[in-house]
Amino acid sequence: MSTVTPGEGCTAHRPPVAGKLDPETRLQVVTDHYQNPRHFGALPEATVVLPGGNPGCGDVVVIYLRAEGERLVDVKYEGQGCTVSQAAASLLLEHLHATGLDPDAVLAMDYRFMEELLGNDLVRARPRCATLALGTLKSAIQAWRRKLRAGTHQG
Amino acid sequence: MARPAEEAVIAQKGYAVPEALVSTEWVAQHLEDPSVRVVESDEDVLLYDMGHIPGAVKIDWHTDLQDPVVRDYIDPQRFAALASSRGISRDTTVVFYGDKNNWWACYAFWAFKLFGHPDCRIMDGGRKKWEAEGRPMTRDVPSYAPASYPVPRREDAPIRAFRQDVEAHVRAGRPLVDVRSPQEYRGELLHMPDYPQEGALRGGHIPGARNVPWVMAIQEDGTFKPADALRAIYQEQAGLSPQDDIVAYCRIGERSAHTWFVLTYLLGYPRVRNYDGSWTEWGNLVRAPIER
Repeated sequence: MSTVTPGEGCTAHRPPVAGKLDPETRLQVVTDHYQNPRHFGALPEATVVLPGGNPGCGDVVVIYLRAEGERLVDVKYEGQGCTVSQAAASLLLEHLHATGLDPDAVLAMDYRFMEELLGNDLVRARPRCATLALGTLKSAIQAWRRKLRAGTHQG
Repeated sequence: MARPAEEAVIAQKGYAVPEALVSTEWVAQHLEDPSVRVVESDEDVLLYDMGHIPGAVKIDWHTDLQDPVVRDYIDPQRFAALASSRGISRDTTVVFYGDKNNWWACYAFWAFKLFGHPDCRIMDGGRKKWEAEGRPMTRDVPSYAPASYPVPRREDAPIRAFRQDVEAHVRAGRPLVDVRSPQEYRGELLHMPDYPQEGALRGGHIPGARNVPWVMAIQEDGTFKPADALRAIYQEQAGLSPQDDIVAYCRIGERSAHTWFVLTYLLGYPRVRNYDGSWTEWGNLVRAPIER
């Protein structure tokens, strides 16, 4: 059912990437996403709510995912923590919404995609912070799919 | 150059080594002092880029102080190169400050002490106090001529504990202080089902360790509590006495560097070591004893 082949996820939809910008502009974009997060907030009728993070360090992201049948209709997040962890969540969700909420594309993303989104140096300096939102989002999609399969079996 | 009133505040706090701390005002008065280098060390890797104390350089705990391959700190050659690149010579007074109540600043301070850098200080109150006082911040990254820094000896033993040291410590029943949150200490999951517990396979604490969360040492404005209050916490409540041989740990040794600083410099305990392997090592060790 997926139209995304492995490794193609990053290039099939060309996102508005910050990673390729000059350092000053990139800093502005990342800071703006930190200060004015996109798709931020709880989804009251979420199909899946999944928290992820490292409470010891204080970086936390909660993914809210709402689906209708096999279609993803909305994804939002809440969180707190360092600039990288929070800006990464906002940039990732902006990309997801801009490219049509494709769950298979998300499952094909890896840290290289986060490097495109944020820049190599930031991801290498704080790999756990930079991939927190992506890891949590993937887990949320997998939890939704498990729920979907369980529902099918029951039905 | 220091304003007596500001430094008197620190002097009145009754610390064992008061010169290990400087006030924000002292830093403001020394921004142009070539014998002083101000170093920002943060958890949040972008804070420095968003604005820092004029003239301050950045040292990152992850990318600058740690070996990129082996889980260890950089070797003496790389340390000398790092110091040199920041315009730090062996006789430079290095003042660390940062986010999270100087948590990472203390970690960088501790790492500098592994290489025996003589004059290290912490700016009391850290980045939070500097900002709260409305002091100047800049995005200009300063450039200093490379300083001459002789390749030092790295001496881990006095202030760094390894796994074997901790095993011996536990067997001998000597005191350990776990500076993580009570939930981490008790090995409770913190409602993060899809995240490994503190990057370790098991939750809990090293047998016999007392729990004194690092943040207990801090006041509302980000400065350290006075010595009397610290003694009440560490000595009277936790039962750690100055003559004890103490090992402090947390998750990767960052928060415990903060407590190491408090015990060593503010209370004058001469034998405190930081176990940087901490819970990410102990909580993954096969057959390591754990308490909950």
